[in-house]
Amino acid sequence: MAADTARPPLYAIEGVSHTFVLPSGQRLEVLRDVSVEIREDEVVALLGPSGCGKSTILRILAGLIKPTSGAVKVRGQPLLGMAPGVAIVFQGFALFPWMTVVENVRAVLQAAGLPPAEAATRIADAIRMVGLAGFEEAYPRELSGGMKQRVGMARALSLRPEALFMDEPFSQVDALTAEALRAEILDIWSAKQQDPSALLLVSHDIKEVVTMADRIVVLSANPGRVRTVVENRLPRPRDPRSPEVLALVDRLHDLITGHELPDLPEPAAPAAVEAQPEILPSAPVGDVIGLIEWLDARGGQEDVFRIAAETGREFGHLLTAVKAAELLELVDTPKRLAVLTSGGKAFAAAGPEGRKAAWREKLLTLRLFADVRDALAVAPGHRLPRDFVLDTIVLRMPAEDYDRVFQIWIGWARYGDLFAYDEDDGTVSLQ
Amino acid sequence: MNSPTLLPLPGPFTEPWLDRAGAPAENREVNHLVRRAFGDATAFLRHSRRLGWADLVVVAALGGVAFAASRLAQGAALPMRPAVEIDLSLAALPGYTVLSLMRGLAALALSLLFTLAYGYWAARDALAERVLVPLLDVLQSVPVLGFMPGLVLSLVALFPGSNIGIELAAIVMIFTGQAWNMTFSFYRSVRSVPAVQLEVAHHYHFSWWQRFRWVELPASVIGLTWNAMMSMAGGWFFLMVSEAFVLGSRDFRLPGLGAYMSVAVAAGDGRAMLAAVVAMVVMIVVLDQLLWRPVVVWSQKFRQDEGQGGEEARSWFLDLLRRSRLVRLLRRWRRRLASSVTPKPHPPVEPSAAAGRLSRLLPLVLFGGLMVLLAVGALELVRLLREVAWSVWATTLLAAGATLARVLLAVALGTLWALPAGLAIGLSPKLSRVLQPVVQVVASFPAPMLFPAVVAVLAQLGVGLSGGSVVLMLLGTQWYILFNVVAGAMAVPSDLREAAASYRITGWRRFKLLLLPSVLPYLITGWVTAAGGAWNASIVSEYVAYRGQTLTTFGLGARIGVAAEAADFPLLAASVVVMSAVVVLFNRLVWRPLNSYAERRFTP
Repeated sequence: MAADTARPPLYAIEGVSHTFVLPSGQRLEVLRDVSVEIREDEVVALLGPSGCGKSTILRILAGLIKPTSGAVKVRGQPLLGMAPGVAIVFQGFALFPWMTVVENVRAVLQAAGLPPAEAATRIADAIRMVGLAGFEEAYPRELSGGMKQRVGMARALSLRPEALFMDEPFSQVDALTAEALRAEILDIWSAKQQDPSALLLVSHDIKEVVTMADRIVVLSANPGRVRTVVENRLPRPRDPRSPEVLALVDRLHDLITGHELPDLPEPAAPAAVEAQPEILPSAPVGDVIGLIEWLDARGGQEDVFRIAAETGREFGHLLTAVKAAELLELVDTPKRLAVLTSGGKAFAAAGPEGRKAAWREKLLTLRLFADVRDALAVAPGHRLPRDFVLDTIVLRMPAEDYDRVFQIWIGWARYGDLFAYDEDDGTVSLQ
Repeated sequence: MNSPTLLPLPGPFTEPWLDRAGAPAENREVNHLVRRAFGDATAFLRHSRRLGWADLVVVAALGGVAFAASRLAQGAALPMRPAVEIDLSLAALPGYTVLSLMRGLAALALSLLFTLAYGYWAARDALAERVLVPLLDVLQSVPVLGFMPGLVLSLVALFPGSNIGIELAAIVMIFTGQAWNMTFSFYRSVRSVPAVQLEVAHHYHFSWWQRFRWVELPASVIGLTWNAMMSMAGGWFFLMVSEAFVLGSRDFRLPGLGAYMSVAVAAGDGRAMLAAVVAMVVMIVVLDQLLWRPVVVWSQKFRQDEGQGGEEARSWFLDLLRRSRLVRLLRRWRRRLASSVTPKPHPPVEPSAAAGRLSRLLPLVLFGGLMVLLAVGALELVRLLREVAWSVWATTLLAAGATLARVLLAVALGTLWALPAGLAIGLSPKLSRVLQPVVQVVASFPAPMLFPAVVAVLAQLGVGLSGGSVVLMLLGTQWYILFNVVAGAMAVPSDLREAAASYRITGWRRFKLLLLPSVLPYLITGWVTAAGGAWNASIVSEYVAYRGQTLTTFGLGARIGVAAEAADFPLLAASVVVMSAVVVLFNRLVWRPLNSYAERRFTP
């Protein structure tokens, strides 16, 4: 598994940045200066919270998306069009509901121009390889999630690709089936005499990444950047419960929390407050309150990863809730812990009215809310159009999707009895 | 021979006596022979039974279609005979019905071709889309009669000396009543193919044809099926006008059910009118059973949703076809043919520079052609409209106001009965199972064929055509409201219904709080379609031929009817332009905002 550095990597992107233009004309920077490479005989994983652009990186490597800037290379040559030798397994399966299992596989072989006889052998091989024998004539709607993803894998493998790109392939499959599929994929990959020789796995599941990958590219979000690359030299096959695997999982946990929830207080220079972007974590009120309740019930502190594991929340989602609670000074985050502050404890103990009052008070320490409150105080009828708020949001959080931020913003404000919003005429008013 | 032990009487349909163990050897021989003969006979019987009536029906249907098509072609190839004598005898009716059916099917085929080409172009070419979609919106609002003179004159001129021109004109007129909603449906389906399916097509190097056949066409089958069914009914609406019409001093009449009805009405022959109505109903029922049911059942395969989805539709005819050995044989042949034409392996290559240039140039050339066509049409229209005097414009606008009032009144009246009826049908599974097929047939029936009877009743009641035309419009368009309300009522979430029941919300309050908000988006869709239909129907409602005389009332529809019959092209153009403009404006300013409001507020 030692990287063969003499030969250029199979697939690589160098210094890639990408900006989406939303239908509203707004620009959304999803990737900034990202470099990733995939070599022969290795499994590379892209790990990160939702919104870090993992799937975009996969699509750029495959040639489905052309990046705004930066180089995309195949065996050292600049890529034009679609990357050769790549087959993608899609997150939502992406099967054609009107085609049977066989027809779904046959379609891509026919599109690749294979003669029918050759296609027939390959279909049979691929279907046997993923354990779909007997389901040839079934339609996707008759299959479970795990079986559907097997069809997706059969379709990809039937092309005998050099590299298999998997975009969160097991996120819509139940846990037991996912375990089995992971093992099968690794079996297929490790059979050296046959393709694919390289795997690219996009995931937000740390354990999955540690059991599968040789190299783990850890990404951070908003915009997506490479945080660090972790080499994973653990011998295969790996037992997900072995101490070595658990130690690496732990290390990755620390890496991500350390970055997403930094311990050092950010220096708050009063003069710079105006220019400082103020990020509103996109956590709904219910998530934040739920987190406070949960912590309160467990003595006021808990490891962030244990919270994620025990509540069954996706880690990325949980982090935004923690960040939101931290912004409102309800929790503190030393190391990987989330600890209730005195404010947080008081909040948990208070009744509904007391909670709303405390919440409102905290909101007004944030410019995003204070600015709008000040403007409403002098506005005719204490009423302002939604666009005014959107402008404030754009000013503070230029890189965000402002419609989504507005939803969160108004949710927070409504809970604090701060502002009301009338959807029919699109105005915000003082409560 | 007296040996009861050898051949005892067998019980009916039992055969074990053939192989009785205790029988002597020679008898076993005999038994063996008997069994062989018997076995062969039953095998033959079973064989012929399998070949039996499923195949017979298929062969008969194929033969019938071939025969009817050849008759249509023969009739068309006859020397120019603009006004065929229509034989009002009952014996002639089946032949006429088949001819009309063939015209309707030919128009449907034409609509399908148009739909695929136009809809695909609009969906895939962003530049052309900006012109094609609004153009389709306008085309949809142009009344069918507005197309008539141009079509008839140019097609007749194209085929001097034969009936092909008139025949084609009739088919194209039916087509103009069918095509637009199908095209819209197809365009929308292609545009809303899930992004990830397009990504798969792109990633796995589907050619444009493969993407069309495997992704875009399947995704639009269901929408296209329902719209084709609606279109067929819409096409019948103008059957009488399409087969028998007057243009200036020239009288055009083609052999067919519509012309039969027109002549029967003119002659005041009640028996023939009744027979024509019956023939129409039979045709609609047969078409429903032999064409639409099977297509609907087959189309279920193309559902996008992954769920099992409620009740499975069934079609006896499709079952029959699937059972038919002939059809299976044909399919096997087709498959063998397809596999014998082995596609050459073509490694996916990056498009060459020349091909790239061509694929970029082609849309531009097509778009240029379209723009030239539109410019020529617009110039021609302006030339015609300049001949129209200001006073005529003023009267036309007044007439538009009168017709608008009638259209809205018809929609309101339709809502008054269709909303409660639709709720009752949609909320009761039993009622909808019984009534749905009946309503479907009734709704497909072209209302103009009933106009003479309705006009007679109205005359008895002393109602003039000014109010009577509202009733006539209603006849044709109330069904759209009913259908949509039924669909809406069926879609009321069952948990909401249960919640309402458990909190004892009943009667008027239930209607106001639960039912009306739930069906409102559907009701509005019904209104839009009904209003569109009513505008089109105004032409035949405000201007009715009845027992050799023509009844008219003041309105835009009547003006179009008069202008077409008098071949007054400037007036016709002006009236059609005003009608299209009013319809488009009304859609933009009233229906569309209303629709988006309902979708925003009342859809979960």
